Amino acid sequence: MKLDFEEVGVTDLGKSYGPTLALAGVDLRFTAGTVTVIRGANGSGKSTLLWLLALLAHPTKGAIRYGRYGVAHADDLRGRIGFVAHQLQLYPGLSGRENLVLAAKLQGISYANERAEALGEALGVGEYWDRPIRTYSRGQAQRVSIARALLHEPRLLLMDEPATGLDVKSTDSFVGLIEQEKQRGAIVVVVTHEAKFANAVGDRILQMERGRIVEPAP
Amino acid sequence: MNVLRAAWLVALKDLQLELRTKEILTSTGLFAVLVVTLGSLAFYTDPVSSPNVAPGVLWISILFCGILLIGRSWALERENDAVFGLLMSPIPRASIYVGKTVSALALLFTIELLLVPLCMVFFQIEPRGILFPLLALVFLGSIGFVSTATLFSAVGIRTRARDLMLSVLVFPLVAPALLASAVATRELFAGATTTEILGWMRILTAFDLLFVAFGVWVSRYLLSET
Repeated sequence: MKLDFEEVGVTDLGKSYGPTLALAGVDLRFTAGTVTVIRGANGSGKSTLLWLLALLAHPTKGAIRYGRYGVAHADDLRGRIGFVAHQLQLYPGLSGRENLVLAAKLQGISYANERAEALGEALGVGEYWDRPIRTYSRGQAQRVSIARALLHEPRLLLMDEPATGLDVKSTDSFVGLIEQEKQRGAIVVVVTHEAKFANAVGDRILQMERGRIVEPAP
Repeated sequence: MNVLRAAWLVALKDLQLELRTKEILTSTGLFAVLVVTLGSLAFYTDPVSSPNVAPGVLWISILFCGILLIGRSWALERENDAVFGLLMSPIPRASIYVGKTVSALALLFTIELLLVPLCMVFFQIEPRGILFPLLALVFLGSIGFVSTATLFSAVGIRTRARDLMLSVLVFPLVAPALLASAVATRELFAGATTTEILGWMRILTAFDLLFVAFGVWVSRYLLSET
C-alpha cells in the first residue's frame, strides 16, 4: 500500500535511553515543500529526533503523525521515508550500483536497475560505480548514501550531517538537489553543524539544546 | 512486498557478498575441518570405538562452525550500520530474519557437505547406506540451531555482550535438538537403519518447525526497536 501525507507532526515527543534523556518533549510540524534545518551541540537530541521520525526507534513518550497515519502503519510508511544517516548504512563489500539496486528492489521499485543507474548518474558516481564501497572516499560513499535515500522519491527526507565529506562542488550540487526535492513537494529535515550549509538550504532553522527546541522559542 | 520475496533479496545479498569474498566459507570451513582432524587424531580410535566418538566430534564441529558463521554474517550487517538500510525498507521485519537464516543455512550446508564425508573417512566409517540419512540428520539438526542462533544474533545488533548472549542463551535453547541429533547420529553409525532413526528425525523436524515459527513471530518485535 502506497501511503501519502502532506505533513508530519510530533507532539510532546520524548526519548530516554535508560537514565539518559535524549529528547525531552518536542512539539513540531513539518510541511510538504519546506526544508527544516535543526542545529545544536553534540548530544542535544537532533539525531534522536531523526531516528524517531525515520521509525527506527520508538518514542518513550508522545506521538508522531504522518498526515493521518500513525506508527501502526510503520512498514508502509517506510516506503515514503528516505534517510541519510551519519553512518553510511551501505554494504562495504558491494559496489555502489549493487547497493542501490538492492535498496531499490527492497523498496519494491519494478525498474530498480534503471532507477539506480539514473540516480547514480545524477549524483556523479559513474566513474567508481562498479567498485566496492570500501574503496570509496567518504565523500564518494556519501553520494551513494544520498542516492539511496532518494531512490523511491520519498515524501519525508531526513538527513543527518549530509554534507560530511563532500567537497565544495559536490556540496553546491547537493544544495541544488535539496531544492529539487523541495520543489517536488518533499518534507525535508536536515541536521547539520555547518552554518553556511544550513543557511543555503533551510526555510527555517531550529536550535536544539538538551533535548528541546530552544530557537525559535516554542 | 511479501515476506518471502524480501527474504530472498536479503539472502541473495548475503550470498553475493560471500561469493565475492569467500571470507566466511574459508574461515569457518577451515575451522570445522581442523576440529574434525584434531578429534580424529586426539581420540585414538579403531573401527569399533570410532562410531561412539565420531558423532560428538562431528556435532561439536558443526556447532562451533555455525556460531562463527552466524556471528560473521551479522558482523557484516553492523559494519557501516548497513542493517539500518534494511530496517529502513518497507519490508516485513520477519523477512530480514528469514533471509539471514536462509543464507546462513546455505553456507553451513555447503560446509557440511565437505565435513560429513571427511568425518567418515577420518573415523573409518563405512558410508554405504548411511550417507544420505546422515546428511538429512545433519541438515535437520542445523535448521533448528541456525534459526535460533540467527534470532539471537539479530537481537545482538545493538548489544555489546552479543557473543556472551549467543553462548549463554542459544546453547541451552538448542540443547534438546543437538542432543537428539548427536544420539541419532551415534545410532546411525552403530548400524541403525533409516527406519530406526525416523523417530529422531520427526523430533528434529518438530524442533525445527517450532524454532522457525517462533523466530518469524518474535523477529518483528525484536527488530523494531533500536
